Formats: sequence, C-alpha cells, structure tokens
Amino acid sequence: MTVSGFIIKNAFRNKRRAALCVLSVAVSLFLLVSLLVVLNEFTNPPEDVGASLRIAVRSKVSLATPLPLRQRAQILKVPGVEALTALTFFGGLYRGEENTYFAQFGMEPEQLEKVFGEARMPREQLEAWIANRTSCIVGADTAKRYDVKLGDKFPLVGQIYPVDLDLTVAGIYKGTTDDRNVFFHQKYLDELLGDPGTVGMWWVKARSAEDVPAVIDGINAAFANTSAEVLAETERAFQMSFISMWANIKVLISSICTVVVFALVLVSASTMSMAIRERLRELSILKAIGFRRHELFAFILAESFGLSAVGFLLGAGGAWLLYGSIDAATLTAGLFPSLEVTPRILGTAALVAAVLGIVSSLAPALAVARLSVVEGLKTLD
Amino acid sequence: MFHLFKYHYRSVIIRWRSTIATVLGLALVIAVFVLIQSLAVGIEKSSGNTGDPRNLLVTRQGALAETTSVVTREQFNIIRYLPAVARDTTGTPLASGDVLVIINLPRRDGTGNANVMLRGVAPAGRELRPQVALVEGRWFEPGRREVVASRRLADRFANLHVGGRFKTGGVELTVVGIFDAQRSAFDSELWLDSDEARSAFDRPDYSSMLVRQADGAALAQIQKTLEADRRLKMKVVREVDYYKEQTRTSRPIKWLGNGLAIVMSIGALFAAMNTLYASVGARTREIGTLRVLGFRRRSILLGFLLEGALISGFGGALGCAIAYFGWNGYSTGTLGWETFTEVVFDFQITPALVAQGILFAVVVGLIGSLLPALRAARLPVIASLKSV
Amino acid sequence: MPSTPIVRIRELTRVFRQGEINVTALDRISLDIAEGEFLTLMGPSGSGKSTLLHIIAGIDRPTSGDCIVQEHNIAALDESALADWRNQNVGFVFQTFNLIPVLTAYENVELPLLLTRLGARERRRLVSAALEMVGLADRAKHLPKQLSGGQEQRVAIARALVTDPKLVVADEPTGNLDSHSAADVLEILRTLSREAGKTVIMVTHDPKAAAYGSRSIHLEKGELVGA
Repeated sequence: MTVSGFIIKNAFRNKRRAALCVLSVAVSLFLLVSLLVVLNEFTNPPEDVGASLRIAVRSKVSLATPLPLRQRAQILKVPGVEALTALTFFGGLYRGEENTYFAQFGMEPEQLEKVFGEARMPREQLEAWIANRTSCIVGADTAKRYDVKLGDKFPLVGQIYPVDLDLTVAGIYKGTTDDRNVFFHQKYLDELLGDPGTVGMWWVKARSAEDVPAVIDGINAAFANTSAEVLAETERAFQMSFISMWANIKVLISSICTVVVFALVLVSASTMSMAIRERLRELSILKAIGFRRHELFAFILAESFGLSAVGFLLGAGGAWLLYGSIDAATLTAGLFPSLEVTPRILGTAALVAAVLGIVSSLAPALAVARLSVVEGLKTLD
Repeated sequence: MFHLFKYHYRSVIIRWRSTIATVLGLALVIAVFVLIQSLAVGIEKSSGNTGDPRNLLVTRQGALAETTSVVTREQFNIIRYLPAVARDTTGTPLASGDVLVIINLPRRDGTGNANVMLRGVAPAGRELRPQVALVEGRWFEPGRREVVASRRLADRFANLHVGGRFKTGGVELTVVGIFDAQRSAFDSELWLDSDEARSAFDRPDYSSMLVRQADGAALAQIQKTLEADRRLKMKVVREVDYYKEQTRTSRPIKWLGNGLAIVMSIGALFAAMNTLYASVGARTREIGTLRVLGFRRRSILLGFLLEGALISGFGGALGCAIAYFGWNGYSTGTLGWETFTEVVFDFQITPALVAQGILFAVVVGLIGSLLPALRAARLPVIASLKSV
Repeated sequence: MPSTPIVRIRELTRVFRQGEINVTALDRISLDIAEGEFLTLMGPSGSGKSTLLHIIAGIDRPTSGDCIVQEHNIAALDESALADWRNQNVGFVFQTFNLIPVLTAYENVELPLLLTRLGARERRRLVSAALEMVGLADRAKHLPKQLSGGQEQRVAIARALVTDPKLVVADEPTGNLDSHSAADVLEILRTLSREAGKTVIMVTHDPKAAAYGSRSIHLEKGELVGA
C-alpha cells in the first residue's frame, strides 16, 4: 500500500459520507458557476468585429424619444463618418405571441453591409430584401426557432407603434453576436405611420478606430442646444448603459453569489471536517506508529482537497458541459443569447474549491496538532 | 406518536455543535429565498396597491403599457364627454389625459443613469388619484416647467429635491414638491402638468386617459361605445386591474428565487443528510437502548424525521429573521419590464412569506432526514447496543 | 422458593451466519426459571450466555425451539408486538448503563412510561418511587455525565423497574464499576428478587457477582454445563 493509496482508501471509507460531501460541494459550485455565468452575461455584452467602429446615437431625453430625420445629413457631414443607418426599435409581437423574444428594427437595407458588415447572407437574398419594401431579414437563430423559410409571411403586431407590419422573409443572416434580430425597411414603418419624419436611433460607422472619439464629439456637438439633443456613444458604451439599468439586478446576483459561497464553505467545511474528525483515532494510531505531525496534516489536506476537487469537477465541469450543450436563447426566452462558462469563471470556482479544501481541513488539523496519542486512542472508546 | 419529542429536541439543542453548520447553511438558503420572493411581493404589492376601483383607464388597443399607448386629442374629447364619465360639481368631466415620457436621469449614488417615468397629469388626474399626497413643497403650476417627484424616487436620483433642477433634452425642469403615493406604482414617477408635458416634449397626443366612472355600468357602456366607433381603436379597463396585470417584472424575479432556492436547497439537503447520518451514527447505542425499552421502529423513524424538521425549522426561522431584520421595508429599485423605467419598491417580508420560508426549510429537512431516519429505524438492536 | 416457572426454555437453538460459516451460539438448550429467582449466567466469552439473555429479554430470536415467558411464546411474536412486550414485561440493565446522555436521570427513568397510557401525575409517582428505591431521589435533575458510574447504573436499574416488569435482565451490570459500586448494584438486584418478587437474570463472568444470585448456570460453547 502506498501513501496515496492510503489516503484514497481513507477518503472513501465512509462512502456515503464522501459521496454526500462531494455532492454538496458539486451542487454549490454548480450554482456558483451558473450565477457567475449569468452575471457575466449581464456585465459583458459580447464583443463583435465591427462593434469597435460603430457609434450609437440616441436622443438625450431617453431611448424612447425619437430623433428627427433631418439629422441624417448633418451626421454624414461630421468628419470620419463612413456610413450610417436609421435604427428604429419596433418592439412588436410575433404572430399571436404574448412575449416576443427577439428584437425587430427598422433600418436602411442599403446600409446593412456598410454598417453591420459581419452579418452574412447570400447576395441574392440581400438584393431581394433591398428590392422588396415589405420584406425583412431574419437572424438564423430566430429562423430556426420559428422554422421560417424564405418567402414565409412574418407578421408583427405593433406595441410601441400603433401599426402592424405584414412582412415577408427575404433573407436569413448569421454571423453577428446576436443572430436573433429581425430587420425590416424603415421606410415601410414610416409609410404606415404616415411619415412622422422621425427615427428611433442612428447607428453610425466610423472610418477607423482613431476617428471614433472625434466622430462622437462631432455628433454630440452638432445637435447641442437644438430641440433634439443627442447622445452619441460607442456601441459598447451604449450596451453597457443598457446594462447599467440592471444595476440592482447585478448587485442582487453578486450578493447571492457571496451568500452561496459563504453557505457552501460553511456547510461543506463542516461536513468534511466531521468526516475527518471521525477518524481522529486512526490518526492518533498513525501518530503512535511514528508519523509526524506535518505528515498527518498532509493526510488531512490531501483528503479534503481530494473531496473538494471531485466536487469541483462534478459541479463546475457539469455546468460547463450543460451550458455548452443547451440552447440558452430558447431556454431563457431570449434573455441571454448564450451562456458561456469562461475560463475565468472556472478559475473562480476552482479557487473557491481550493479555499474550501483548506478551510475544512483547519478544524481537524488543529485537533490533530493538539492530540496526544493516549487521548486520541481514548476519544471514541 | 411523538413520544420522544423531548429526547430529540434536547439532542438537537445539546448537540448544536454538529448541527450549527447545517442550521446556518439552511438559514442562508432560506434568507435568499425569502428575500428574493419578498422583492416579487414588493413589486406585486406596489402594483396591487395602485389605483382607485372607481377609475377606468383607457389605452390604445394592443398597447401593453401606458408608455406605449397613444390617445389622440380627438379620442380624448369623445370619451371625456360620454355620459358614463362622472362629472365634478362644476359639471366638468372627471377625466385626465396623461402623457408619459421616459427620461434618463443620473442616479444619486453616481452609479450611472436610469430611465424614469415622467407623467403629465391634468388637474383632474390628481383628484382621481387620492393615493398621491404632497408631503413637501407645492404642486406644479400649469404653464410652468415644474415637476413634483415621489419621495422614493427623490431618494434615488440626483437633483430631485425641492428646488433642484435637471435638464432632459432641451427642457429644464424644476422640482417644486415631493409627494408620497403610499407604496403604489406612482412612487416610481415624476409628475408635471399634462399640457406642459405635451409642449415640452413635443407630443401632439396623450398616452392614456383616466376617467371616474359615473356608475357601475360605465365600464360596459364605454366598452360598447369603443366597439361601435371605428375611430376608437382603444380599450378600457379598471385602473386597479391594469396595475394588477403589471406583474411581468415580478415574474422573472420569482423564477430566479424559486430556481435558486431549489438548487441551493439541494446542496443544503446533502449537508442535512450528512449531519443526520453522523448524528444517527453517533447515537447508535442510544437508538438500540430505546428499542430495548420497547420503542418501535416507527417511533425511531418519526423521531429522527422530527429531528430533521426541528433542525431545518430552526434554520428556516433564522433565515427569515435574517431577511426580516436585515431588509424588511428596505426600498430598492429595478428595471420594470412593462415600462422600461426604474420601479421603486420595498422588500416586503409578509407573514405568508415567512411561513413559506419555514415550511420550505422543514420540507428540505424532512427529505434530508428520511434516509438517515430509515437507517436509524433499521438498526439491528443487538449490534447497535455493542456500538461504541 | 416459588415453584411456577416464569421462563420455560425448550430445545432453544440460535445459529448466527458469519459469511459462509454458521456459528452455533446456543445448542438445544432447555431451562426453567422460577418466579422470584435471581439467576446468574456464567461462562467464557462466546459461550452464548449473552445470546440466551437476549432471547429471554425479547431482543433476539431463536433459530429454533421455544422460549415461553409467562405462558407467551415470545419467539412467535412479531417485531412490534415484541417491542410492546419488552416494554411491559422486561427491565433491561446494561454493562454500559446506556442512559440517554441528553436526558436527566428523572427523564431517563420516565422513558419507558412514555409508551404507556399513564398520565403525567401517575408517571411522576412511579418515577419518583423507582428513584427512591435505588436511593437517587436527590439526583433526579442530574444529567448522566454529572453522575458517577455507580449512580448511572442505579438510574438504569430504576429505569428497568419503573414499568414494574416481572423480569429484570442484566448484562454484566457490574463490568464497568468499581467493587464498591458493584456491591451496591448487586445488593439492589438481590433485594429485587428477594423482596419485590422479581425474577432477575444476570450475565456475569465475575464469580463474586454470581455469588449474589440464588442459582448459577454455566454455559460453554452454547451448551449448559452442570446445570
């Protein structure tokens, strides 16, 4: 028998105890990883290729306040602007749904390639979309979810706007960070609304990364002190501001994370040290045989680390496998396009598992340090 | 049935060292559960608490919330003069065309901006909502760019004190008063004069209208009128019903609470099982002795289930206490799903929620103690007497 | 000495299975125990004396044969019935006392009464009387760990007596006691049989303890020797 053999035999001597320890660690780490994943989705919108060059322009009043059409020409005059499109959030409901999980935007189809270059679809579909005023393009995820094909009707009932859109699918795109959105002609919406002369937002593409700050300042300055002041910011900042409205949710989730970690350490550490304390007598026999104190510490540490490591593999690994294989967009009703277990999250979980291993070996280690051989042999008699 | 109540109760108390971690762990689980549910309750209460049963709210057909509704002035005038709408002593209809504008304001604590609901109300609108009472300063005057903010919103956003000014778009508004809306949905709003709001934010139309019904049949009468007139693609509901429907915000919170509680309680379940197995193991000889004295297996089983329930009951009660004394009545806000604006509400830890929390804990304890209790009941008498 | 046997054992055999091997603990034992007797069972370890005691006390069952106590063949009772029977008819005294550590002396003695229909006042009277009998009325509120070994064992005897059973069985009751406390305990057991008319059956390997009994039986390898 080797020393490691002894440790393994020891750890699984009480199989039920070991299994319960491992399971409670696994469940807690699974929960921790899940929460961190959600938190991460809230905090870090996915980066995409063109994002760093894109600038979102919205009304300074709020997102819900429209911008006048006349701003178009003025924005194009700002040096460094390469392209722009109107982008109007329609917020409609798809075919009899009560909650529609994808967003729909009115935009200028001719600008799609220039502004959102990463959206990929066959050229003839793009041309078909541009050609047909009442057609739309659908993200691949949404197309899959509703099983829509080219030429299908795609009706949307207006919620924010008092009009309904009667769209036809002209193309299906993919390749963006969020392949759920549906885009249609801004003109079609304008027509139905009786040409109000407004758009929801402007989405601007800068010529190069160096131009971005100047473009932002230029656009903001262009409309300062007009009746329609704007707020231009990078696409990322825009997304972040969206997220900052969730500030409380973030605080909520991170405090839950803390509580979970605390409860986990508490409960698992106590059960593990219970498991180890059960064999104080054995440890004192080892001491009597001539094992030194630090060797006994090593035994204890190895055992508690072993248990929490198995728990980590099950819990964090399980979460990793689970979130890698599920269709997050569908399951969360579109709240999260994907749930990614990042290496950083796995690292955090591993760290917690390690802390757990140390904390739970503290009590038994202390007991062993204090243990005199005679007493240890007596403890359980 | 529970002959051994004293024995098990005493065991739990005296052997607290071995159960304390489980009790605390469970307490945290229950505290999280109760707190999250109390958020949902807070939101629901604030919705359920809003409105006057005598009022009817008219919105555009298909609009899920007032913010996405449009009521044109023509529509407003048609409905306003319907006989179903009550009139005040001077003969003016009790109807308010409201304008809802979402504005973006910086938070007081400097953590960024959030959307806030700005409501333009006609003078009748204040009369229709007696829940809203001025607590500081004065009401806004029509024709001036003045707003009155709810006390709760004022606590959360910068410059919302009496005399404070803020700019939104090209409009500068001055806060002239603070109101309290008795924990209703209006506690998440800023109010100003309705016509002033239309001119300041360039809105030709109203968003919604609120009317006082003349009698009990008013709802049906207005509905009939709306159906008959094609110009009126609108719907009318009781004001209280409208707010009761506004529970979308609380739903995901409930799911979150339930989901978290379930996963966390599975973890706690294993811990409770472990603790009770250890407890049974350490008391094998006591169990054997009880059997010799004539206690049946069933008594032992029930006894250990009781013990599990006791331990978890303590945990649950402690969790509720943590939640209650730490957070009850604590006001917070979140993004409302209907309006996309900040919704201010309280953690509401109701007796029902406390009962739910403790019950939940006890169920976890009972499930967790089932296997250890069965093991205790199945211990062979003679072997257990020999156990050390 | 009264002549009606309270315990009649006929052809009693108990076989334990240990893995592949069958171990015969008791081999066709026949024995009568009279009411009021103080019987001591002696023998080396593994002789079957404890097994015999367990069967008489209704916590073990014979593989074959009869054990008739007060006209009931207890080998035929089911588990729950046996539990009730034990509660009403047997008082058990252990070598290791086996008091419940979280309960006071009083509550320990009261335990068997919780299974009866007696009211609180009646229980109080019985418990007090039992504690009085073993001379520990003043220790009623003490926890076991606050008592000496001898006191603990006397509480255990009070617990065995409180239901007023006909039969008191004791498994090495003095094994964990110093000689002074042992003498106290044995004296109580002797008094029980002589004055209260209880039938006391005691397993011991101490000849000095056995000397307190009215009759002694020797077991060896599952059989009676020189009965």
